[in-house]
Amino acid sequence: MSGTGLVVLLAALALATAVGLVLRARNGRVRTTTGAGSPDGWALTGAAPDGAEQVLLLQLSSPVCTPCRQTAGVLGELAATEPGVRHVEIDVADRPDVARALSVMRTPTTIGFDRAGRELLRVSGVPRRAELDAALAPELRGRPA
Amino acid sequence: MSAPDGSGAPARSTDPPLDPRGVRFAAGLTTVVLALVLVSGSGWLAAAQALVFAAGAFAGMRFAPYGVLYRLAVAPRLGPPAEREAAAPVRFSQTVGFVFATVGAVGYLSGLTVLGIVATAFALVAAFLNAAFGFCLGCEMYGLLARARAARA
Repeated sequence: MSGTGLVVLLAALALATAVGLVLRARNGRVRTTTGAGSPDGWALTGAAPDGAEQVLLLQLSSPVCTPCRQTAGVLGELAATEPGVRHVEIDVADRPDVARALSVMRTPTTIGFDRAGRELLRVSGVPRRAELDAALAPELRGRPA
Repeated sequence: MSAPDGSGAPARSTDPPLDPRGVRFAAGLTTVVLALVLVSGSGWLAAAQALVFAAGAFAGMRFAPYGVLYRLAVAPRLGPPAEREAAAPVRFSQTVGFVFATVGAVGYLSGLTVLGIVATAFALVAAFLNAAFGFCLGCEMYGLLARARAARA
């Protein structure tokens, strides 16, 4: 028996539990961001908003990433049913410059931009659909651009 | 709506995709073994866990012992997985685990007990995060490294 080892074990489990709870609370949560000084997502991806499109949901993914596929499912469905939303998925292995410009470390990360290219929100992990809908509602109700 | 740009890229690993429940089962067993290493101070147990990591990391995830145990003893009792996850990041995380478990074993066996404890504790935190929360630290590292490689290329 090692008394030190037991103490270290309990401390390590406590630390890991705290980290895990923080990660779980953050995962998929929609955080509204001010976007002051952040680059224009439309310009970064070479996309331009069509007539009805008010919001760009830019998804940064990596090739081997299970939650990225789930995120693409959630955002693809949203874009298919909501004409005001454009979903663009990019692979950070192909476009590390985009990840760098937007200071994205983890995949999947989703960043919402308004029609003018201002950053609205960020989501790390698979977005929670209800939170995303609520966060986008003001933009999609035809706020003057 | 769009397709991912990298959808046509060839897979970097030949390992078939994994049942995520098996990955967490293996992380749970790893957590228990590493906890026993800390409590007992046994360098040989740390060395045994290093060998378990080595099998998955160097031979492939098909040969990872805890994964084999899952497929034989647990998976038949469960339904098929709703989805599977790519093996390459998990395999990389086994390599990271191998390094930490090996350093831990060398520390305990050579009398550098503090080194053994610290290395084992790091591996335990990573294994526990995966087992309890489904968060794979090694897989996150794999993603960042893959990006760094792509940026250099």
